[in-house]
Amino acid sequence: MVKVWDLALRLFHWSLVISFALAAYTGFLGRRNLLDFHIIGGVAAGALITFRVIWGWLGPTYARFRSFPLSPRAMKQHVDEILAEYRSGKAGSTKSRHGAELGHNPLGAAMVYALLLFIALTVLSGVVLLGGAVKQGPLAFLVTWDVAGLTRDIHQALAIALLCMVGAHLAGVIFESRRESINLAASMVTGLKPVLANARPVAAFRARPWLATIILIAVAAVIVPTTIALARLPGLGVPPAKLDPVYAQECGACHFAYPPSLAPSDTWAQMMDGLDHHFGENAVLDAATAAHIRAYLTDNGAEKWDTRPAHLFRQRDAADPLSITATPSWQRFHRDLPAALFASKKIGGKGACNACHQDAATGRFDPQAIEIPEEAEP
Amino acid sequence: MSETDRYMFRRNALRRLAFGCVALFASAGIALAAIGAAQQAVLDQYARQAKAEDAKFTGFSAERGKAFFLAQWNSGHGDTPSCSTCHTTDPRQMGRTRAGKDINPMALSRTPDRFSDISKTEKWFGRNCDTVIGRSCTAREKGDFITFMAGQ
Repeated sequence: MVKVWDLALRLFHWSLVISFALAAYTGFLGRRNLLDFHIIGGVAAGALITFRVIWGWLGPTYARFRSFPLSPRAMKQHVDEILAEYRSGKAGSTKSRHGAELGHNPLGAAMVYALLLFIALTVLSGVVLLGGAVKQGPLAFLVTWDVAGLTRDIHQALAIALLCMVGAHLAGVIFESRRESINLAASMVTGLKPVLANARPVAAFRARPWLATIILIAVAAVIVPTTIALARLPGLGVPPAKLDPVYAQECGACHFAYPPSLAPSDTWAQMMDGLDHHFGENAVLDAATAAHIRAYLTDNGAEKWDTRPAHLFRQRDAADPLSITATPSWQRFHRDLPAALFASKKIGGKGACNACHQDAATGRFDPQAIEIPEEAEP
Repeated sequence: MSETDRYMFRRNALRRLAFGCVALFASAGIALAAIGAAQQAVLDQYARQAKAEDAKFTGFSAERGKAFFLAQWNSGHGDTPSCSTCHTTDPRQMGRTRAGKDINPMALSRTPDRFSDISKTEKWFGRNCDTVIGRSCTAREKGDFITFMAGQ
């Protein structure tokens, strides 16, 4: 047996598998409040890709990009050889074992580059999406909701492409394992492969782990503080967390004081015009207070802000335009929740946003801030 | 009855009497203490209005206030047939708005600053009388209500 995959490369590979699985599961199947785990998976994948690029330059022989160049000609040749084996009826037999490359074969090499590129693009598009859609992360200060909408499609398309590529990668591993009678997956665990008599010679390189570590630390020293500093900037079009005190006092006396960004200005005007019949109750205010609150609400309506709720709740229900809970978006997000949950004493009705959304008062409604009270679980 | 038994009986009787007196004074004290100067000013204002509305008015009644509080009006906005819809039938309990927000108890023993601000008191009577009964409340009804809550 001969050592092909070094320890760092193997750790990279399996860490990437775990990160990818976490991000893919939380992205495709997980509930929204698992966003933090999705972000962790994505950030880990991004960091691993960064390491792999450095290791492709400073790692040992088979880790280096130079040992597996991207070559359409070699790829075609590799395919031709496989087809020739099938035509000659020697497919799958050990005698046909070609295995001229100890490291990645030409098709495997292409897959490595494609995976590295697509994972990097998926992570980057995820950062843009995170900034624009939920106003989190280093680009929250910069990316608009509209850009996030486009990025969302790109991020999803990349993720679906990645799933297909992972499937193709696994199929390739299984195919080549049978063809070469080597357990390639086990090789990625042990790092060892059987010696090949006809292995194509590759230029040997010694790894430079210390230099690689220094470069990795230097890259991290630039990216990490920058990311943290940018993430601390106020999000683009995010309303101030503090509500007008008169509004909070008067309207918050009976119900959760809905941040004005949750409804358009004309909806607020309509609301203030009908306080004598306010959702089945008389909620009349003295003229001065009513005027103050009306001005605050209509000056800070949804159309002024760029947060997700401010965009989604602009679209009102024609029959019940005043109710946030009647909007198509509200209905869609809460459709899986049973009526008994809202009726539970712990929550006290659909209008009590803050019973589950810990950050409801800020108008942000971050996916991670959803906490359904345990006693209220049906 | 032995000498000791007689002694014990007398002692228990005295003790019961003493407890009774303390309890009586204490409850009277709480009822009086519940109405502070600010609440008395609100009550005085309603008393003047009640007199103006009805010459035969002689004073507020906690009994009438209790009946008013517990009545099933069914004449206001449909979702709120009575005060207890939100305040529960026990004024010493926490209430809850239809939107799910807690309401501090109406009883002055539990929420001592209730009815101490005339404009706030008027705001809530103005809203809730319309919501529950479908009309404005009279000054006598408001005074009865506060008097009832002061004793709770």
